[in-house]
Amino acid sequence: MTVGSKVKQTLATLKGSEATLRLYSLQERDKEASAIYAEAFQEISKIKIDLEKRVGTIEFEEPQYKGN
Amino acid sequence: MDTWLILLFNSIILFFLTLIVTRYMKKKSLSNITPFDFISYVVVAIIISLISLNIIPNIYFGLIVLAVWILMPIVLDYASMKSKWIYNIRNGKERVLIKDGKVMEDNLSKERMTGQEFLQALRSKKAFNLADVEFAVMETTGDINVSLKADKKPVTSYDLGKKVALKTEPQTVILDGNMLNEGLTNIGLNQGWLSTELENKGVALENVFIGQVDSSGDLYLDLFDDMIQVPKTQVKEMLYASIQKSQADLMTFSLDTDNKVAKAMYLKNAQKLEKVIKKLEPYLLR
Repeated sequence: MTVGSKVKQTLATLKGSEATLRLYSLQERDKEASAIYAEAFQEISKIKIDLEKRVGTIEFEEPQYKGN
Repeated sequence: MDTWLILLFNSIILFFLTLIVTRYMKKKSLSNITPFDFISYVVVAIIISLISLNIIPNIYFGLIVLAVWILMPIVLDYASMKSKWIYNIRNGKERVLIKDGKVMEDNLSKERMTGQEFLQALRSKKAFNLADVEFAVMETTGDINVSLKADKKPVTSYDLGKKVALKTEPQTVILDGNMLNEGLTNIGLNQGWLSTELENKGVALENVFIGQVDSSGDLYLDLFDDMIQVPKTQVKEMLYASIQKSQADLMTFSLDTDNKVAKAMYLKNAQKLEKVIKKLEPYLLR
């Protein structure tokens, strides 16, 4: 596995966690817990954006691995 | 009129009268009543059976006595709500039996309790060792309540300095294979959601005996057919694990890469994610 595909895999895992957290933040009835889920969801979204940028850079630097 | 008709008539009337009257009496479990309560209950019961069997020649006499014994406790209940003095007369006062870890022998003898009885009562409160007891009090009902010394108390999450998520009461959404709309609306869900959840678990509605939804929206099912294994909802544990995995991955990337900017970015995000994990832990692993 190349670095690019590894990062992409992590990115996918993060996206999954983000979606689940989002779901819980909507589903949870307890306000406090719901706020924690929402906060975590936002943090992970930021990290996700950083990673997406990195993936872009990697693909730009090593176009032969693009799409893997 | 025939005697049997009178008996029948009296009994039916009294049956419903008793039913109504006991609704208005104070709700107390039988093990929690004071001796006075017990006597008044017994007197009421006896009067009712006497009237119902027509043993009292004049039924109105019986009803007067019954009214007194039923109404007086109710009057006293209301009066003792207003006045501490009346409350103390009606219920007596609780008595401290152990204070600061020392047995108050005077109070023990006032309650006419022997050492053996006392130890037995303590044991029934799971205080086998007298040395562990900080404070014990005899309630007016004769129950003994025990407060253990601080270092002998069961550990709570507060003692451990651990945060735990609040858990509100679960709502029952399925009973005997029927969806309960009341429970569903209480948590802001609908039948469509429930059908989807059941489909995800691969369970037919008719096969569900009890279904409950907890505060975070997870569905727990108990089936009629106990041979079928319902997949336990582990979404939260999975979520926790996958966030942890992402965090570990980010750490690895930061070690792997030679690019300074990327290294810093990975490290920063790994630390961010670690904080998120710490915060989520009490909510996801409970």
